[in-house]
Amino acid sequence: MQNPDVIVSCEGLDRTFVTKDAGENKVLQDINLQIRKGEFVVLIGPSGCGKSTLLNIIAGFDQPTSGLAAIAGEQIEGPGPDKAMVFQDYALLPWLNARENVEIGLRMKGVASAERTQQAMHVLGLVGLSEAAERPVYRLSGGMQQRVSIARALALKPKVLLMDEPFGALDAFQRAIMHKELVRIWRATGATIVFVTHSLEEAVFLGERVVAMTPKAVGLTGELIIDMPRPRDPLSPEFAALKRKLYEMLTAHLPADVDLFAD
Amino acid sequence: MSVDSARGNHVVGQAATRQTPTAAASAAAPLLKSLKYGLLGTLMPLAFVAIWWAAVAAGFFPRSVLPSPFAVGAAMFDWAFGDPARGGYSGTLLAAIGASGQRVIMGYGIAMILGVAIGVPTGASKLLGALVDPFIHLLRPIPVTAWVPLSLVFFGFGFKGAVFLVALGSFFPIVVNTIEGVRGANRSLIKVGRMLGARGFRLLWFFILPASLPSIFVGLRLGMGISWVLIIVAEMMSVKSGIGYTLLDAYSFGRFDVVIAAMITLGLMGFLSDRIILAIEAVVLRWHRETSIHAEP
Repeated sequence: MQNPDVIVSCEGLDRTFVTKDAGENKVLQDINLQIRKGEFVVLIGPSGCGKSTLLNIIAGFDQPTSGLAAIAGEQIEGPGPDKAMVFQDYALLPWLNARENVEIGLRMKGVASAERTQQAMHVLGLVGLSEAAERPVYRLSGGMQQRVSIARALALKPKVLLMDEPFGALDAFQRAIMHKELVRIWRATGATIVFVTHSLEEAVFLGERVVAMTPKAVGLTGELIIDMPRPRDPLSPEFAALKRKLYEMLTAHLPADVDLFAD
Repeated sequence: MSVDSARGNHVVGQAATRQTPTAAASAAAPLLKSLKYGLLGTLMPLAFVAIWWAAVAAGFFPRSVLPSPFAVGAAMFDWAFGDPARGGYSGTLLAAIGASGQRVIMGYGIAMILGVAIGVPTGASKLLGALVDPFIHLLRPIPVTAWVPLSLVFFGFGFKGAVFLVALGSFFPIVVNTIEGVRGANRSLIKVGRMLGARGFRLLWFFILPASLPSIFVGLRLGMGISWVLIIVAEMMSVKSGIGYTLLDAYSFGRFDVVIAAMITLGLMGFLSDRIILAIEAVVLRWHRETSIHAEP
């Protein structure tokens, strides 16, 4: 019987892309993954390992070639507000201000106007953007835009929050701030988060459990439980040791023709 | 000590007085700049009128065919403010503008509603695109003037026929630009709409339509330009009022001063309606202007 604590469940997942020039490309083969309520799971791997494909399947944007993908025991039938995505390019609606960008999802859910504003202001406060609520989003910095995008996803009260390399476009300092913010938000909301990255540092800083994936592999490559207490110091020896462990896990299974740092 | 502090004060004071005129100048600068560009825009029309006047004065053209700018000005004044009791064209300008304007607004309005309502789903759906797109592009190359005989048969002489021609002509640029705008809309915004739970009409209305507005406005401006062309064609062929009718009527009486006055009126009407669309665009598409290459840093 299904464990009621499991939010995301993938069983024997395959995804094969067929292209005219490259033929069959088996991106995912026999992926089994269970994510429990409140977990912060990081999917890590080099380009082409299928981590974004897996995230897109969980989000409902893509369908597996075979196998089962389910959210809270129900098979995923397409995108929806129960599995909210935070995109790398923020994907905010430029014709709306920050608050309206958060409200639009609630509007689609049929939440009444006054209630919408109240909920939007609450999540904007949670991501530290109360002051910027009425500003046009194109006037905000990259970090602030990504906060709006996180607020928009949180406002939906999703079963799982999916993040696809959300801080990839930020500079190192903004990224470090956003890492701390995300941990704070995760602890404040108890959200279940699946976070895709190719940065070892990001994985070890954020994750409770890091799932490693490598290209052309059957199944997942490995799993690392990060039990280091928070706040984690990225300059500490323990942190470095965990990064090394993760790096070795990824490189040990890497095919000869794949360069981990190609990206 | 006291000398030092006095000198310090003096320096501060000097800095302050130096700053004040700079601040005032920088506040006035945008106004001056826009005034300068506004004046620049009147330069070419003025030069054109001057050359026209000189050419007529030098006798290059017979005055019966090309009247001087002053004669045209006088005809325009009489057309606008003359006593209608005097007959001819006196005091009939407003009525002519009203008649033409009404037909343009009606025809253009129909084209705008149909163009966007057909264009958005046609651009969004592959199936509808395959069904509707080839038909639109087959009809589009037929000059609207070629529709005049059929228009006369179906709508007769008068208001309906003119509205039909204006609507048909401005429909094509609006619908084509709407379709292309939707097709060029940012894919991730549609992904976002689906993630937020929007489907069908709500996906079109809240996500795809706003994203396509920059392109739709291009179609709206082109369509408005064509409207003023076609209203004249319609009025010359099948209607007995309006600016186009006045123009053709004046030609048949050899009143070239009125012909040119009518041409200038048409130019001004087209210019004015374009400015109105631009003013609406400036408000609706503020987000687009401020993220485009013309944005002030």
